[in-house]
Amino acid sequence: MVGRRRPGWLWVAAVGVYAFLYLPLAIVVILSFNDSLLNAEWVGFTTRWYVMLFEDRALLGAAANSLFIALVSATGATLLGTMAGLAMQRCRSGLLRGLPVLVFAPVAMPEILLGVSLLLFFRQVLDLTLGLLSILIAHVTFSIGFVAIVVRTSLAAMDESLFEAARDLGASAWQTFRHVTLPLIAPSVVAGFLMSFALSIDDFVITFFVAGVGVTTLPLQIYSMIKVAVSPEVNAVSTLLMALTLTLITVASRLAPAALRLRM
Amino acid sequence: MTDDQANRRPAGMAPRPGQWLVALPPTAFLLVFFAGPVLLLFAASFLAPGDFGGLAPVRQEGRWALTLDAYGFFFSDWIYAEIFLRSFVVAALTTVLCLVLGYPLALAIAQSPRRRRELLILLVVLPFASNFLIRTYAWIIVLGPMDLLYSPVAVIVGLVYVHLPFMILPLCINLEKHDPALLEAAQDLGAGVWTRFVRITLPLSMPGIRAGSALVFIPVLGMFAVPELLGGTRDILIGNLIKEQFLDNRDWPLGSTLSVLLTVAVLLLVGIAAWAGRPRESIS
Amino acid sequence: MSGVRLALLAVLLAAVVLPAVAEDVLYLYIWNTYLSDETVHRFEAECRCRLNQDFYSDNEEMLAKLEAGAVGYDLLVPTGNAVETLLRRNALRPLDKARLPNLGNVRAEFRDPWYDPGMRYSVPYATSVTLLGYNATRLAELGLPTDTWALIFEPRHLEKLKGKVTVLNSQRELMAAAMKYLGYSVQETDPARWDQAKRLILRAKPYWATFSNSTYIKDLAIGNIWVAHGYSSDMYRAQLDARDAKRPFVIDFRTPKEGAVLAVDSFVLHRSGGRPDLAHQFINFMLDGRNAGDVSNLIGAGNPNAAATPYIRPEIAANPGIFPSEAESRRLEMLRDFDPQTRRLLSRMWTEIKVR
Repeated sequence: MVGRRRPGWLWVAAVGVYAFLYLPLAIVVILSFNDSLLNAEWVGFTTRWYVMLFEDRALLGAAANSLFIALVSATGATLLGTMAGLAMQRCRSGLLRGLPVLVFAPVAMPEILLGVSLLLFFRQVLDLTLGLLSILIAHVTFSIGFVAIVVRTSLAAMDESLFEAARDLGASAWQTFRHVTLPLIAPSVVAGFLMSFALSIDDFVITFFVAGVGVTTLPLQIYSMIKVAVSPEVNAVSTLLMALTLTLITVASRLAPAALRLRM
Repeated sequence: MTDDQANRRPAGMAPRPGQWLVALPPTAFLLVFFAGPVLLLFAASFLAPGDFGGLAPVRQEGRWALTLDAYGFFFSDWIYAEIFLRSFVVAALTTVLCLVLGYPLALAIAQSPRRRRELLILLVVLPFASNFLIRTYAWIIVLGPMDLLYSPVAVIVGLVYVHLPFMILPLCINLEKHDPALLEAAQDLGAGVWTRFVRITLPLSMPGIRAGSALVFIPVLGMFAVPELLGGTRDILIGNLIKEQFLDNRDWPLGSTLSVLLTVAVLLLVGIAAWAGRPRESIS
Repeated sequence: MSGVRLALLAVLLAAVVLPAVAEDVLYLYIWNTYLSDETVHRFEAECRCRLNQDFYSDNEEMLAKLEAGAVGYDLLVPTGNAVETLLRRNALRPLDKARLPNLGNVRAEFRDPWYDPGMRYSVPYATSVTLLGYNATRLAELGLPTDTWALIFEPRHLEKLKGKVTVLNSQRELMAAAMKYLGYSVQETDPARWDQAKRLILRAKPYWATFSNSTYIKDLAIGNIWVAHGYSSDMYRAQLDARDAKRPFVIDFRTPKEGAVLAVDSFVLHRSGGRPDLAHQFINFMLDGRNAGDVSNLIGAGNPNAAATPYIRPEIAANPGIFPSEAESRRLEMLRDFDPQTRRLLSRMWTEIKVR
């Protein structure tokens, strides 16, 4: 398969990088079946760590929390982000010219800064008890930008004359939105939802700062497991999560191919 | 990227009331939960720490209790500046390594047949889709028996591993847009593989390199979990320092000061990068 | 439309999640690996409620998280000096002794701690000594002593242990160990002596692998590190883990002859907790001799409970790392809070230690 413009060494390098990407994770997967508490060497095959997982209430609870938080925050972020995307595309005058800065800054800044700012705000201004609400607000905040980017990109690629035609035919703003704009941007709204869902499920840094009593999320739970536990349960949960993301990505790539490319 | 398309719209379309309705909720939300907190962070850096944590009251005995103490503390001591400097070096090294590893792969992907490209990119995204803690944990397992755990090497390896896809994907997006005719023309003119790469591919891919570098460099600066899990006794980054002030030392003003200075540093860098890469008819 | 389906999914999910929220839950914020699963199951069966545990690995971490607004915990398990801080903060709820019939089980010498005379706010749960855990097999091969802080502070020993030592990522504990080695009190206020401790630490630091508050448990058991500065109960766990995994070496732990820090960790009720009733029930449950015995048998911690004695396995009762001898006890000291000036001094030294 070595083409004219594709020197062999390029593929050697590429395969090397793929190996770098996959070998460590392969080891995690293999050791999840290792019948040794310490995972220091291969002892024998077992599935008991997986059985243990399903009896680990703290972990299951964290997974349920994560799922719930992701669903709710992704819904919120999709609503607000879609609005922001529409607003950025449509209104480019006056005060709203500053909107893109407001939307993109949370995406661009190091996560820890958003985490500590929100912590300060919750504690000093709202005097909010850290917990479910603080996590939900934080997740919506960092996801809005991603949804807005996707929606705006798809709007920008559309033919403006469609909307004009609708208006010329006497459609109200709402009718134009409902029957022309919305169906057209629907795939990118779905992509935005999936993205914020994934971001929320995955977030560790910001959640670490704003989490409170009794609402441990999956990444937080994994973090404390990595720091303390000796058990290959961590490998088992990692393997399961990898399998799950693999499935989700496969499904998503069928449903909304745009989501994958835009994850960046 | 999309601006030029958007700008084709006829000018002078003022927002109508309905559009304000659309713009208001996200704007209000972000003003309250993003702009507000960031301003508060800035303000907090000028306050004193509370007796037990948090911030001391802004008004004490009828006077504004603003202070430059935290900044004084930072600048009176070479130690904090040293951590900043070290973090920037670590971030730069991580970025360069990501580039060195990512570029060949991105090039290989971009030059493969279109149908296979999607799959190859998916193969880059897949490990990236599992949580970065799991990816860090993988290196704890790999490096432990190699006697490399708890070393600067481990931290760099971990950081590169966690951020590599951020470099590869923008590079791919850029590289696959290159017109093969250019390279063919150069070849016809007798340019060798290396010359073609240095004179055509590399300059054309600068926007991708810049985007990838920003996506790696900036997050690394705020990282605390990777040094904490993989690093040794000297491997702390700005992120660790900030986290420690908020969730250990209870010195919020100092933590805020460190955060403000990090923001300033990041903005300066982004500014410099934007200036260096100001539009000169580039592919993006 | 997919939106409808998603909404349905959300409702379904809420239906799954909400019942879990509605039951009786006791929120406990406790040191990691400080309460055995067996004990938890027994308590949950008895109270027909759920025990939700969150973990910390340093008192400072716990205090900071509470200050940040993570409130709502019914019970905390701070060490003496942190109880002092919480009391000054007015963050604790007084105990209702009528609800603690088992309180009489507390050993006499634990009833009047300096931070809370008469146990008005706190009930001692367990004690631990901050000491050295080590890979006995390795150290014997290397011919190194195991009963002195010199093991982690003296370059002549450390040369054989380079990269195989971890120390606690805790300003108070590490500085205290250095002070003990230098023959000073951990309550010292003379800056010059603290400076001496800092220099001792900086000299030894290049030989250490990392600062660690919890990972040393598994690193000792796997064999990645050979000496760890840490809590006796954690060392006990590492010892058991290594034995269970049939590692080709033995983990042991010992209080250095120069003396060490003794921690008495107590149950206290945080004011923000919503279920003081369950919290009292839990404390009383843990004061019962059999359950208190678990603390030593399963966790490897020292025991302030007299009724636990008959339940404690003889080999554990005889372990001087868990139950220090009379003579050793005299060399143990508890940490106390410092005045703000000393605190700032130590905090500044700590940053220097972390960076240099």
